[in-house]
Formats: sequence, C-alpha cells, structure tokens
Amino acid sequence: MKFNIGTKFHRIVLAAGACAGLACGTAATAKETVALGFIGPLTGGVSSVGLGGRNSAELAIRLRNADPAAKYSYELEALDDECKPNVGVQVATKLATNRKLAGAVAHYCSAVAMGTVDVYHRFGLPMTVWGAVLPDITYGNDYPEITRVNGTMINQNETAAKFMTGLGYKTFAIIHDTTDYGKGHNSYLSKFLAEDGATVVGAFGVSADQQDFTAELTQVKALNPDVVVYAGLTPGGVRVRQQMAKLGITAVFQGVSGIKSDAYFEGLGGDLAEGTLTFLEGAPAEKLPGGAFFLTEYEKAGFSTPPEAYGPFAFAAMNLLIDAVEAVGPDRKAIVEYMGTVKDHESITGLITFDDHGQNTVALITGYVAQDGKWVVWEDSDYAKGTRSLPAPK
Amino acid sequence: MDFGLIAQYLANGILLGTMYALVAVGFTLFFGVLDVIKFSHGDVLMLGTFIGFTAWMGLAAIGVTNPWVQLLGVLICSLGGTALIGAAIAKWLVLPLKKAPQLNTLLITLMLGTAIREAVRLFYPNGSNPKAFPALLPDAAVELGSFSLRADSVILVLAGLGLIGVLSLVINRTRLGLAIRAVAQDEETARIMGINYTLVVLATFAIGSGVAAFAGIMNGLYYNEINFGMGLILGLIGFSAAIIGGLGNLYGAILGGFLFAGLQVIGAALLPFASAYKDVFAFAVVIALMAWKPTGLIPERSSDRV
Amino acid sequence: MTDLPISSTAAAARPWAAGAAVIVTAGVYAWALLMAEETWQVTGLLVLAVAAVLAALKTGFARRLHQDWAASEPRLNRLAFAALIVLIFALSDAHFALLMVATTLLYFTAAMGLNIQFGFAGMANFAGAAFFGAGAYTAAVLGTVTAVPPLLTLAIGGAVALVLSLPLLLPILRTTGHYAAVVTIAFGVLFRTFLEVNEILGGPQGLMVAPMRLFGWDFNSAPVIGSYEMSFYVNYALLAAALAGLVFVLVRRLERSWIGLHMDAVRLDETAAACFGVPVARIKLTAFLLGNAILGVSGALYGMMISFIAPASFTFSDSLLLVSIVLLGGLGSLWGSAVAAAIVVLLPEKLQLLQEYRFLLFSILVMLVLLFRPDGILPRPLRTFFASRRAGK
Repeated sequence: MKFNIGTKFHRIVLAAGACAGLACGTAATAKETVALGFIGPLTGGVSSVGLGGRNSAELAIRLRNADPAAKYSYELEALDDECKPNVGVQVATKLATNRKLAGAVAHYCSAVAMGTVDVYHRFGLPMTVWGAVLPDITYGNDYPEITRVNGTMINQNETAAKFMTGLGYKTFAIIHDTTDYGKGHNSYLSKFLAEDGATVVGAFGVSADQQDFTAELTQVKALNPDVVVYAGLTPGGVRVRQQMAKLGITAVFQGVSGIKSDAYFEGLGGDLAEGTLTFLEGAPAEKLPGGAFFLTEYEKAGFSTPPEAYGPFAFAAMNLLIDAVEAVGPDRKAIVEYMGTVKDHESITGLITFDDHGQNTVALITGYVAQDGKWVVWEDSDYAKGTRSLPAPK
Repeated sequence: MDFGLIAQYLANGILLGTMYALVAVGFTLFFGVLDVIKFSHGDVLMLGTFIGFTAWMGLAAIGVTNPWVQLLGVLICSLGGTALIGAAIAKWLVLPLKKAPQLNTLLITLMLGTAIREAVRLFYPNGSNPKAFPALLPDAAVELGSFSLRADSVILVLAGLGLIGVLSLVINRTRLGLAIRAVAQDEETARIMGINYTLVVLATFAIGSGVAAFAGIMNGLYYNEINFGMGLILGLIGFSAAIIGGLGNLYGAILGGFLFAGLQVIGAALLPFASAYKDVFAFAVVIALMAWKPTGLIPERSSDRV
Repeated sequence: MTDLPISSTAAAARPWAAGAAVIVTAGVYAWALLMAEETWQVTGLLVLAVAAVLAALKTGFARRLHQDWAASEPRLNRLAFAALIVLIFALSDAHFALLMVATTLLYFTAAMGLNIQFGFAGMANFAGAAFFGAGAYTAAVLGTVTAVPPLLTLAIGGAVALVLSLPLLLPILRTTGHYAAVVTIAFGVLFRTFLEVNEILGGPQGLMVAPMRLFGWDFNSAPVIGSYEMSFYVNYALLAAALAGLVFVLVRRLERSWIGLHMDAVRLDETAAACFGVPVARIKLTAFLLGNAILGVSGALYGMMISFIAPASFTFSDSLLLVSIVLLGGLGSLWGSAVAAAIVVLLPEKLQLLQEYRFLLFSILVMLVLLFRPDGILPRPLRTFFASRRAGK
C-alpha cells in the first residue's frame, strides 16, 4: 500500500502519541477493567431494534459499574453488523481476536449469526445471542461458546398456531419476507397450523424491503382467508396492514415477534393497528419485577430511542455475561464453562436455563394484541374479556 | 381469473405507473439539460416527503384540521422546499463537476443520496422507524365484486396525470420551456442566444425535484406510511423507467414508468405463489428491451459528432 | 532517440529514492493504523495522513514522487510488493488486521477488473458485486465437491462470472453510456433477487464455503514456525497478495499492449476509433469479459476467506462500493485503486467508534474528495510513448 506520507511528519506524531499515552497511563483505576462486546444492526432498515439492543446492553453495564459491590469495572465495545453476513464475520473477528475482551452479546439478524458462530468457536469467545431466532444457530452446531437467551421460532409458532385455531380461525394466508427469518416462520407456522387442523390457503414470498404489496394482497383477497399472517419485521408489517385496508380486506391480521415494536404504532396510527395479534418469547417485561425496573431505568438513562421488543433480552444477556465474569473472572474458557452450567438464573425476562446446545429453554410464549395504540398481553386485553371482538371466523 | 381481479391489477398498475412516471420525468429532465444522471433523486424525493410530513405535523399542532387545507400546506412546503434543495444540489454539487468525467457526477450524487438517507435516519426524531403519513383524501370506496376502487386512488392518479400534463405544457408552451429545450439541444448556441444557462439548469433541477416530491407525497398518501429508505428503490425504478423510455424525452419517461409498473403487475399475476420473482421478471425484460432498442423505446435524436 | 527533458537532474541521480521512501513509510503507517485500537491513535493517524498528503502537495514532493514513478516503475512496484509481504508477516499474529489486509487486496483485485472496463474501455459496469458474488457462490458450491482442487475453483469462479456475462453481451455492445449502465444495474438487481428467492443456492440464508486448500495444506489451520503460531489469515493474505500481484502484472501488460491502446481509443471516441479500423465490438467484448472474470476470481477467494456468504453481501450498494474505489482512485489508475481500496475498506472499519454515524461521515468524505480532486486521488498519468528509460537510461 502506498500513502503519500513524509517521514518527518510521521516521527512528530509518533512523539505526540507517546506523550498522550503517558497521560493515559497515569489515570489508573482501582478496579480491573473488563471489555465486553455487543454486535447488532446499528445502520440500515432494522437499525431501530439494533440501537434498542445496544442501549439496553449499555444500560446493563452502566448499572453494574454504579454498583460498588462489583469486582470489575466494565466497558462496552459495540459494533455494527449492518445485518450483512460478510460484515458480521468481519466485526465478529474483530471482537473475538481482541484479547482484552471476555465475552460478547450479539446478533439480531439470523443470517449474520449463522455466518459468525464459527468465528466465535474458532477463537473461543463466549457469545450469547440476544435477538436472532433461527433454531440452527444453537441447534445446528455443538459449539459450547454459543448460547441464546431468547427463544427460537419453533416455540413461538407452536403457541401461535394453538392459540389462533383455539379462537376458531380455520383458513390462513401467509405473507413472509424471503429472509431466513420470514421463511422459517412460514414453514414452522404452516406445520403447526396443519397439525392443529387449519389450512394455509396461500403463502407469498416478498422481499424484505418491498414497498408495494397490492399484487400479493389482491390474490389474498380472492382467497378470502380468516387470518392474514405477515412473517417479517416491522416496516413490512406496517405496509401489509396498511394496504390490506386499501384493498378492503377485513381478515384478522397476525404478526410474528418481529413486528412487536413501538414503531408498529408509529407507522400505522392506532386505528389500523387495533386488533393485530402477535407473539413473543418470554414473560412480558412489565409483568416481572425486574422488567419494570428495567423500563424505569431505561427511561432514566435518557436514550433517544426505545428499547424495542428485544431490548430486555439484550439487557438480560449482558447481565448474564457480567454475572459470569463476576463469578469466574474475565477468562474466556471459564466463562464458557460457566455458561454450560447456567440453570434457573434470575433475569428480567424470567428464569434462564441453558440446554445442552446453550439454548434457553423458555417454553413461555406470550400473546399480545394491539389495543388503543399499545401492545397488551392477550389475557389482560378487552378482547379476552369479551368487551371488544376480533373479526369473526368465516 | 375473474373480472374483479383483472380490474384490481389494472388499477394497481395505473397507480404505480403514475408514481414511477413522475420519478422518471425528473431523471429525463436532468439528463436533457446537463447530460447527467442525478442518482440522489430518490432520496431527495424521500426528503421532500419528510418535509411534507413535518409540515402536516406543524399544521395539526397549530390547530388546522381541515384535510384540504392541510393537504395544500403539505404540498406547498414539500414542493417548494424540495425545489430549493434540488436547485442547491445543482449549484454546489452538479455544476462544479461539469468538466469532470460523467461518472463523477453519478458517484457524488449517489453519495449525497446516502448522506441524505443517513441524516434523516439519524437526525429526524425517531427517523429509523416508519412514520404514519396521514390519510388526507376521502377514503370512500366502490365495491364491484372483488374489485374495490377507492376515491383517494382515483384522485391521486388524476392529480399525477394532471401534473404531468402541466409539465408538458410548461416544457412545450412557455418561454422557460423553450429555454430548457434550447439548452438541452445545444448548450453553447443557447448561451450565444442570450439564455442564462445557470438559471435554466437551476430551474430544471428545481422543477424535477418538485415533481419528485409530489410523487413522494403521493406515495405517502397512498401507502400512509413513509420511511427513510423509500427513495432508494423508487429512484432505481424511476431511473430504469427513464432509460427504457429513452432519456431526454418526457413522453419516454411516462411510457417507461407505466411499462415498468405493467411488468411488475404482470409478473405478480402470471407467477401466482412465486410473486417474489416479479422483480427478476421485470428486470430481465428491461435487459431484453435494451438489447432490442439500445437507446430506449423513444430514442433521443442525436448524432455522433466526430 | 534523444532524452526528453521530462526528469529533473535531481531525480535523475537516484530516480527511485523518493518512491522507495514513500513505500517504506506507507508500510509502517499501514502497520500503525491496523494495530491502532484507541480512539486517539486512530484519529491522530488519520489527521497525520491528511497533513502529510497536503504537505507533499505543497512542497512539490508529490511531483518528485510522480517523476520517480514514471522513471522506475517496475523497480518500485517490486519494492511495494516486498513491503506488502513484510507487512503481512509483521502482522502475523493479528487476525483482524490480516483479515483487513486480505480484504483490501481482494477488493483491489476486483477494482482492477472493473478498471479494465471503466478506466480503459470506458464501459460502465454497475453489477460488479454480482460477478464478484458469482465467483463466491461458485466456491461455495464446488467446496462441497471434494474432487475439485480449490486452486482450480478460483479459475472456475472466474469462468462462471464470464459465462454469466455472456447473455449481457448483446445489450452491452449495442448500448452506450447510461443505457449500458442500466443493463448492468438491472442484472445486479436480478442476480441478487434471484439468489434470494431461490432455495437451491441457500436462499437469503446463504451458504457455507469450504476453506482454501493448496497442496494438501488447509488454509484454516495456523502456520507454525518452531513454537511460534501465526494467524491462519496469513495464508489468505499471502494468497490474496499473490493474486493481486498477478492481476496487477496482467493488467499493466494489457494496458501497455495494442489491446490497451485500442481500449483507450474506444473510450476517447468510439466513432473515430472505428474509422481508424479499431475493432470496437471485439475490444469492448474483451474488456467486459476479462474484467468480469477477474471479479469472479477475486470473489471466489473472498468467499473462501469469509467462509460464509449470503445474497445480502452482493447488493447494488456493494457494486457501488466497487465503483467508488475505481473513481476515488482515479479512472484507469491501478495504484489509485490500491489506495482507494485501502481507504474504502479501512475507513468505515476504523470509524466503527463513530458507530451509527460512520456511513454519513464516509459519504461526505467521498463527496469532498470528488469535489476537490475530480480526477481521483492518483489520476492515471498520460500514456508515455517516449519514456526515458526506454531510450537506454
């Protein structure tokens, strides 16, 4: 590589750099500093979820640093994977080869996580997934370094299928984005719906950044299903719901965990969102004592963006990682071993127990319904009480 | 396939086509006067839509509730603001690069597009999330079997076509239009004839950007949802539409816009349950069209100067 | 032939000293930048680079450098290659830095392929990432077939990219300028969408890619000298350096040959070139196919190194990234592409500390470069038909 650099300038700045280095060296702290990593999509279409996760992980670290009982002081190294596998491999390599780093909390996009698990394994970095839901991330390998606090899409869709058929709905049309996330949801939901005796009358693959769904929805309208399902993330969900109304489709609208964000209401306004159903792993944050604590602390910390659906998981994952460091010290091998033994660990999303693949065995899935511009747990909603009703099965 | 379904596809296609045509018109205008491709066009469109959205929030905040008054305010702010932005881009980014290779203009406007997109995402309050654009048009609908025709779609298509008509009048019937056509034909001769070249270029960029902002507002009113990434794909499609129609020709851009929308709708209708292939189909046809008509369906009249 | 008074007497004395000094300094600088982790180090080094470039332009050092390069390019090129190898070994246990070096080299190689099209023949290609991806996907598919030696896979990656460009030949040859651009844009979008909706090649989920193997040596295992274990990325960095060197020589030869001269003629004026009997269609065809084949080969090695590929990595914006390397460096300037590739790969990475703001800053920086250096960082020099060294100097 060739740069136009004069030698003398180089020397001057190296000298200047040395001075700055001395200044830094004198500022010694009482506690040993441990670096912890975070990776998520901080730019691009799903960046709101990534930023929410980053803020939540940062909050976990801030709170622990404020705790005088903590043995170490922690610092966060947050990197952006842009939701692209090649960038993910790059930043994962950067974290994994940083010797100061004890562990990481990473990935919202499943395709990225699939590409990077090998990197963490190769360099022995303990990594806990905070958002990606593809089963293969934990079950597709035997890497002890990889763990996950959130559930997989298998549990989510099993519950969703039971719940929807329980309400009497028989025919479903599924629109899914063609990422692994949307496709995975499509195949698991179709499988469980068939087991529960319902029919999927049509499944449509769309690209994740598609603007116009009228072509697909026109066909959906002709099929006249009880329920229209969108398997994808918030932006697509907002558009599908919006354009359903344009075409006069009155079916129930069901989403997946990817649309459970405050952005859904911001994109739709309250009226159209009303009655949308969705499902998310774990107990609702506001129901658990720790969850309410998380939400108030998040509010207090003054972040400019909301935590979104997976913020609590990022917080829980980071807290678990910090607990591991507190227990066994900032040693990667020891942390990996510690993670293998995690059982009934308290967290704001419920108890965490890892199975032999490092997957948190949360069987608990919560159903939500949109009511008055908020996601309300189904059991607490006016719909469950019978004071409001969803469109009836045809 | 029943009649209702066909009618629905047709209605969708016409609406999309109007939108694409409005974007393509901008590309074709810029190319006409300056022989440049301004790739930030889609993102300028997005910026215009956000300006309109902000104007609507402002109007709602000061207590203006009549949707027609709101719509007027939104259009004035959005079109005016975007026209100014378009002229500013021409003045400080496009004209200074006139002597540099054409590709540089392309790259600099691409980078400008990225910068606009990122700036909106980062600095607009909660900009990374989609926003609910208000429905300001009446939403009455006529149901004919499985076909539902909504009043707002009809108004949008008519308004879009009307704007294209006005634009064509401006280009063909006014002094400004004459100046634009003169500059497009031969810059040096136009200058000799006393035409203020810089002013004409700035005016053209202002008009093209304003038209794009209109397409953005139309997009917002139709989908009732706007986001920071909406300009990227619209810009790409608008560019392709302008090219297959034939650059530098107003009618070519309109033809290209409707053709592209038609291809997408046909792709989606002919490939049921595989509608994800519709963009593969549309772009494959674009490549084939270019092989058949290398300078677009309505070729620009040009001769190679040796 | 008499010596033309191009070079000054000072430069003539040792007409490579300034160039050599710059190469060595650049090597040290690259090492420092790659190893820098703290914010103040990165910021300091970036400020230093800008200051040094400005100083070189002001003091006339840049002109001296230019003369050196014109006078003894082959020698300086060999020195630069040697410096690169030294740099790779100096970084031998820094995994991440080596990954960045190898990525830069592969992007540089890809940019050289694009340079044949953009810089020499004047053809637009906005589907660079698609042909790059075609190579990577070839590597992924062939990696599952153990009978194919991985080195041959690189060649096949190039061949696949070449075959994929065949259907585009007719529209590409018939169209010019922006019309040709839209053909490649359409192909790029089509390629990516097709991969995404198609299950056979892994869909949007992507594919695992088997590692490179050479003479029974697995590239994913770390080379060990005595008791010292190096990063396995040394393997890839060295192979990428070899590939970049090979392509560099090839493209330089091409540029100096009659074909290169014909390409220049076609770019500057197609009609005039045709009048003088230049086979325009054949020249354009050569540039398009050769460029895409180079893209495919570099993509194949990139896929093996990254070990996991998905359509999201080969989008329109990735094509634009490749084009911006070519333009930033200066159309047709190979050394310019090298510097630009380093900037485009390293800058966003080193700007990670800016987190979500870095793309905004990056795009503004590129705009500034284009406004103030419209011909790129290192513009391609005029063709020297009477280079002094040919005259026996």
